[in-house]
Amino acid sequence: MNSLNKRLSAEKRFQAYGLFAVALSMFFVLILMWKIFSTGSGAFVRTTIEANVFFNPDFIQVNQNSLEKELYRASYVALADEVVRQNHPKLNEEQFIKVREMYTRKFDYQLRDYLLDNPDKIGQSIIMKITASSDLDQIVKGNYPRDVPEAQRKINDYQLSVLDKLTSEGKVSSVFNFWFFTKGDSRDPESAGIWGAVMGSLYALIICFSFAFPIGLLASVYLEEFVKPGKVTDIIEVNINNLAAVPSIVFGLLGLGMLIGVIGLPYQVPLVGGLVLGFMTLPTIIIASRASLRSVPPSIREGALAVGATKMQTVFHHVIPLSLPGTLTGTIIGMAQALGETAPLLMIGMVAFVMEIPGGPLDPATGLPSQIYLWSESAERGFLEKTSAGIMLLLLFLIIMNTAAVVIRRRLEVKW
Amino acid sequence: MVEQVNSFAIKTKNVSVHYGNKMAIDDVTINFTKNDVTSLIGPSGCGKSTFLRCLNRMNDVIESCKVQGEFLLNGVTDIYGDSIQVETLREKIGMVFQKPNPFPKSIFENVAYGPKIHGLASTQSELNDIVMESLNRAGLYEEVKDRMDDIATGLSGGQQQRLCIARAIAIRPEIILMDEPCSALDPIATARIEELINELKEKYTIIIVTHSMSQASRISQRTAFFHLGKLIEHGDTSKIFTKPDKEQTNDYITGRFG
Repeated sequence: MNSLNKRLSAEKRFQAYGLFAVALSMFFVLILMWKIFSTGSGAFVRTTIEANVFFNPDFIQVNQNSLEKELYRASYVALADEVVRQNHPKLNEEQFIKVREMYTRKFDYQLRDYLLDNPDKIGQSIIMKITASSDLDQIVKGNYPRDVPEAQRKINDYQLSVLDKLTSEGKVSSVFNFWFFTKGDSRDPESAGIWGAVMGSLYALIICFSFAFPIGLLASVYLEEFVKPGKVTDIIEVNINNLAAVPSIVFGLLGLGMLIGVIGLPYQVPLVGGLVLGFMTLPTIIIASRASLRSVPPSIREGALAVGATKMQTVFHHVIPLSLPGTLTGTIIGMAQALGETAPLLMIGMVAFVMEIPGGPLDPATGLPSQIYLWSESAERGFLEKTSAGIMLLLLFLIIMNTAAVVIRRRLEVKW
Repeated sequence: MVEQVNSFAIKTKNVSVHYGNKMAIDDVTINFTKNDVTSLIGPSGCGKSTFLRCLNRMNDVIESCKVQGEFLLNGVTDIYGDSIQVETLREKIGMVFQKPNPFPKSIFENVAYGPKIHGLASTQSELNDIVMESLNRAGLYEEVKDRMDDIATGLSGGQQQRLCIARAIAIRPEIILMDEPCSALDPIATARIEELINELKEKYTIIIVTHSMSQASRISQRTAFFHLGKLIEHGDTSKIFTKPDKEQTNDYITGRFG
């Protein structure tokens, strides 16, 4: 009786350890999530300063009859400066330089884009919310302290007084930062967006899927259904299993050496990135596909063979369709892993500063993880929140892909 | 004598089967008469299923399995010879397995699959006719006619097995092999299948492996008793079950071993 009590209390202790382990890991996950969300949420809003913009034809050297091409080519720098001067009357040259720094450097482009959309506004005045510079943005969001000595601040006392005046006039406001989801990378945190990296990753994943899925499926079908087991297949099997554990940077080196070095494909394009990620995903797909082919009951093969189907008809009419949910699940999980992989992208150059949004797999691009890596290395405080927001987006994509894998398995799997 | 040859659906002579070094069938010679039901009985591991699977070469897929001896279909076609392809052979010799194994597709697709791959129907309506006729002959049509597009794995065990029989007869075989078709079914479903076998023997030669001696005596005209890979005795069912020639057979059917 005594020994039974001992055994029962041992079980209670064991359960307590287990509960503690689960609680501790949940705690770490929560800390991680809280940190990412609290830092990253700032990237979804940006600070703007309201200003009266008079599209004076003299400053941009266009008129109402100008073609779109001319509007596009015109310089809006002088107009931008004029808007700032109008918004803050009676500035001397030194003050003007300081005040101009409070607005984003690129707001001449903002003016141009507006005029391209509304060419009839030439010679007219509008009220426009002009994006503030990242440093001002950080002050407004409270990420930069105001109460430190002026020398340690990016925004000096004069600029702060101007900001306070603008705030009291109600001209400072926060808007939802669409730019983050629509623009490519930029040197200025306030106009940097993740869309270029998303498209780069998307093209890479499309290439990855269209390369790795058919090859992985055919290889596994051949190995599992057709080839006679022997020494050679044993060696292949061992090697496939080992390849699944090879560090991804090795695949990056393979891409750099073979695809770029020998075959001569261009540097830093999603085509090469996708192929490299495909190499990396292949073993995962083959292993998942073979496991799911093996789980198709032999009785189904016998049933098909017994009505006179050939081996190939048996495999293609019955075995592959039944194994496809498992294969697809493995493929999606493999691709989710590939999406988060940074090292191979570093090796093949998809980690450069790219402003343009790639229009196809042969345009220079970065990937989501390499964009996050680039931002994390930048000195400006404004990129810190972009980094966390990028991670949030990456996590979102991973959750979507893994959910898709689960849904596919649940929906299509045949119950025996 | 010539007439005698033609009345055999399958003739086998000196058949031996090895799995690697292990002997499964030892020098078996047996002929199966046309339009009869022949039961293969014997204790577990006696080789009766192995022998059955040799008849439509289902053992081909087992790497270690070596089959020796003579197999003649209708007295002329060498089953293991070059003159017939295994797919054509299986079109002539259908098979029903121990566990019902319908494809996880619709009921219609299950029956239509064989005729489709062998090109037995040139139009959709011909195919519909074949499916309907096969289901009818398997005694399943009335039960499933309103849900032909439902997935076949949703049927009951007995219905699934009758569907497998319909699938086998849809390609118009001459011979149907059955490997313990009732062992996974309840008594009512079993009775239904036995009834069906009785009807089917009008058109087909049926060779059935069974564990149940009462089943063998109910449904078959001929019975073959296997023990340890050898054919001990083969003859009319009535004779085997009343006054067998061999002591071993008598011991088995009276339940003294096995």
